[in-house]
Amino acid sequence: MGKYIIRRLLMVIPTLWGVFTILFILAFMMPGDPLRAVLGEEYNRLDPEVIEATRERMGLNDPFHVRYLKFLEQMLRFDLGESQVHEESVSAIIGYRFPRTAQLMIGAMVVAVLIGLPAGIVAAERQYSWVDHWLMVVALIGVSMPVFWSALLAQLVLTQEPLAVFPVAGYEEGSVRHMMLPSLVLGAYYSATLARVTRSSMLEVKTQPYVTTARAKGLRYRVILTRHQLRNALIPVITVIALDIGGLLGGAIVTETVFNWPGLGRAIVPAIMRRDTPVILGILIFGAFLYIAINLITDLAYVLINPRIRYE
Amino acid sequence: MTTGQTQSSPAPPVALETQRSVTNRARFWYTFRRNRVALVGLLIVVMMVVCAIFADAVAPFDPIEPHYTDRLVPPNGQYPLGTDELGRDIFSRLVYGARISLVIGFVAQGVAVSIGMTLGALSGWYGGWIDDVIMRLTDIFLTIPGLMFLIVWVTIFEPNPITIFLALGLIGWTGHARMMRSQVLSVKEMEYVTAARAMGVKTARILLIHVLPNAVAPMIVLATLGVAGAILAESTLSFLGLGVQVPNPSWGTMVDVGRNYLPTGKWWYAVFPGLVIMITVMGFNFLGDGLRDALDPTQYS
Repeated sequence: MGKYIIRRLLMVIPTLWGVFTILFILAFMMPGDPLRAVLGEEYNRLDPEVIEATRERMGLNDPFHVRYLKFLEQMLRFDLGESQVHEESVSAIIGYRFPRTAQLMIGAMVVAVLIGLPAGIVAAERQYSWVDHWLMVVALIGVSMPVFWSALLAQLVLTQEPLAVFPVAGYEEGSVRHMMLPSLVLGAYYSATLARVTRSSMLEVKTQPYVTTARAKGLRYRVILTRHQLRNALIPVITVIALDIGGLLGGAIVTETVFNWPGLGRAIVPAIMRRDTPVILGILIFGAFLYIAINLITDLAYVLINPRIRYE
Repeated sequence: MTTGQTQSSPAPPVALETQRSVTNRARFWYTFRRNRVALVGLLIVVMMVVCAIFADAVAPFDPIEPHYTDRLVPPNGQYPLGTDELGRDIFSRLVYGARISLVIGFVAQGVAVSIGMTLGALSGWYGGWIDDVIMRLTDIFLTIPGLMFLIVWVTIFEPNPITIFLALGLIGWTGHARMMRSQVLSVKEMEYVTAARAMGVKTARILLIHVLPNAVAPMIVLATLGVAGAILAESTLSFLGLGVQVPNPSWGTMVDVGRNYLPTGKWWYAVFPGLVIMITVMGFNFLGDGLRDALDPTQYS
């Protein structure tokens, strides 16, 4: 097991390096002059020599490989650099924005689990019944809804008088009331995926010998369902959640723009408009890092929880 | 339970082979036809394709020409889905918008399939360090958050159809690569492949004739679902104002512009384009899901 953990940790290194390289190449190709973006109108009034000196100082004139090595070295120090527009480090921006995005992601996850898990279990238990059929049709419709559109619909419908319980947009210190609508919208989307995975996972477990044994022992239905089936069926479900963390992050960004939620999405879109390369790159790297970290944790957790999992 | 047909017997004689594929086809049709959800999906997809091809005949109005006298008219007999801020018929614009969405969906998926199948085949066939490198590459691409990658991509390269195809292809190929790799691995050691190799058949030919046919069914399923994903991703990008800039309307852009009119009660402008996106994506998802049920050999044993 120790060997596996070490190998799994080492595997992170080439992945991270690859991500850094691809993102650096993207950033290198980013058009537009960052200095011009920062200075705006003033750019034309400044002495060209001053501008040239600044470029030199910022390392914008260095050749590709020098900038690449500098970039890698920065990454090793966990230094994401400074925003070129605001006098703020990228880590500070992420540190301020991400907790708000995470709050939304967690809220959505709770909603998704509350709806998706029971739906998947019921569908699996009543396989091929009309309940199963319709639950899965609804889930398929659910994954087909663009999040930005369901967010707008929620705003439209839930502002009508009898339904207008929760605020339509805004943040207000992350109050639970303001969190409700965005979490519901994003969570509803994810519950559809979750229901489908839960169903197929439960079906797979259902025919396992240990379930038959449990039944033969005369255990109660509820005990078999929760202790023997659900517990084992959850592993693939969690894997899928972990693998789709990037999708959830993307969904959160879109939801934020509709609900005026001050998370990462509201930092990356303006950064793109102003060609603020370090911020854009920093957020992308952070997203990739989040994915790697969450998948690493789930993989390692499996080994610790389930001794039967052996890797080569 | 099931080990699939691939491991049954060494290469059967040609006659047997065709016979088996006929029964497979019959079985596929039998399952598919009885699946009403899949049929609805097929119907939607066909309808959308027809709209896209014959947009000139289907759309009652010009999608671009403004009519300043009929601005933001609610749905009525003349304009079934209302008009936009320039007095253009929303229904007609949606019909023309099908072109962009479907072309992007299909071509982007084509790019994803080509990249994925090639890399997956190389990975499974050669194994060793090639396999390691390619699998690491899929890990890397899975790691980068798709939507953010798209956003950055379109700021680097102008958001025109070609760059969008490429970007969607680049974030969508990993599934195909993994599927293709496992298909190659499962037949690589089989006798008929060994025989072909012993006879000196070229690798590319072996892959094409002996390996690829096994991968067609799962590939169709993945690609159909992938088209749904690509259409959804493109509309999200357009909604964020980063989509393709063309005279013809894009569905996501329409929702983006239309949402500005929501607070004043002009609901039809944002609601209908979103509904069309949903129906289209749903059509591909229904179809893909139905195809999976009908093509999945594990269900028969």
